[in-house]
Amino acid sequence: MGSVVAQAGDWAFVAANWETLLLGTVVTVLLTATSLSLGFLAGFPAGTVEVYGSGWVREVVGTVGVVLRGTPIVVLIVLFYFGLPIPDLGTLPLVEIRMDTFVAATLALGLRSGAYQSQVFRGAIESIDEGQMEAARSVGLSSRQAIRHVVFPQAIRRSIPGFQNEFTIVLKDTSVAFAIGLAELLTRAENLYLQPGRDTAIMEVILVISAIYFVLTFATNRTLDYLGEIYAIPGGEG
Amino acid sequence: MSLLELDGVDKSYGDEAVLHDVGFAMDRGDVEVIVGPSGSGKSTLLRCVNRLTEIDDGAIYLDGEEVHSLDENALRRRVGMVFQSFNLFAHRTARGNITLGLTEVLDLSRAEARSRADDYLARVGLAEQADSYPAELSGGQQQRVGIARALAMDPELLLFDEPTSALDPELIGDVLAVMRDLADEGMTMLCVTHEMGFARSAASTLTFLDGGQVVERGPPEQLFEKPSHDRTRSFLGELTDLNR
Repeated sequence: MGSVVAQAGDWAFVAANWETLLLGTVVTVLLTATSLSLGFLAGFPAGTVEVYGSGWVREVVGTVGVVLRGTPIVVLIVLFYFGLPIPDLGTLPLVEIRMDTFVAATLALGLRSGAYQSQVFRGAIESIDEGQMEAARSVGLSSRQAIRHVVFPQAIRRSIPGFQNEFTIVLKDTSVAFAIGLAELLTRAENLYLQPGRDTAIMEVILVISAIYFVLTFATNRTLDYLGEIYAIPGGEG
Repeated sequence: MSLLELDGVDKSYGDEAVLHDVGFAMDRGDVEVIVGPSGSGKSTLLRCVNRLTEIDDGAIYLDGEEVHSLDENALRRRVGMVFQSFNLFAHRTARGNITLGLTEVLDLSRAEARSRADDYLARVGLAEQADSYPAELSGGQQQRVGIARALAMDPELLLFDEPTSALDPELIGDVLAVMRDLADEGMTMLCVTHEMGFARSAASTLTFLDGGQVVERGPPEQLFEKPSHDRTRSFLGELTDLNR
């Protein structure tokens, strides 16, 4: 243990199990995609309601957001997994994950992300100058048309940096699905070094998956930076 | 019948009365210029006409119809507005700023909207800038797009809320020239402005508003040469000095 030879053997062990880590990465990416999508579908309308809504709808949306943002993600994911009546949905072929754990993880990560994304959108909408709305209304657009054609296109551009942040957080937080045994990257990594006699490989395995998480976040952030540049308003501050 | 008539209009924000018993009428083709110290209620008055702000009491009639009885979007289709800070849609080109109302409100086809937008841009001298975004234009150019945007809707009345106050002095001339042309072509215009040269030469009627009330109203030469109120004299005197 600790000898140079043994360490070389541990790297070889990681390399030999690349398929396991690849599957874990696929599950992590899938879970990030489903969670962010759910978060967007929930967060965008929620942010809109927080700005333009009124009455009990706005109250409910605001309160749900506060609760979701105020609960640790591990607690949420365990709560959803054991607390919701999710039926046994079998196993997803190819990546071999239990669907009920995947659904529970998506709900927890997605709704939590929605609670944060709603704040990103709310802030972006509120940052649009009031004069934009007044000018649109003065041309005769209804407030709905004005929001859709004038406020949203500008607010979405302004929410890209906040969304990038959110993407990074969700991607890394998929690792908490480990708590309910979903076979994503961290869980599969653990399964590797928990094999008999492989506890020497903990560092190597963990370093490799750290690198995988980093490459994923870095590459996606660069892509979003690029999209932000393409869709930036010419001459504007963005 | 008057195109626009205000009758006993009151408006307060909380305890503060902004407009009190304001009344006047203007005919089609009139150019009414409203002047007054800041806080006198000039902008509020304009905003009440297209109902960006609702009045508390009194009535406003557009071509004989009480504006409150009209659908607010229908009203605004007939009454254009030009803003002090331009308020161009930042994410749309100069042309796109004009076409939005044409396609969404007037239901024109994209091709019709585009050609009408280009006509109006040419009219304000910005044919070359059709594809530029607001942030790429000078203040004077932006304001002329703002005028073209309002004009393209073919309004019966145009409201100007201090259209040159946010401009550098050397950019004011182009905007005023466009406004003069409009006045000459018979556009009905209600303008809040500090441009005394424009008020003197283009206005059919000048109204001096102070403390939310109409202090004096009449032909510009009368208010400039022999005003009946001291307040009018001192205010116009100061402004004219400033403009020199």
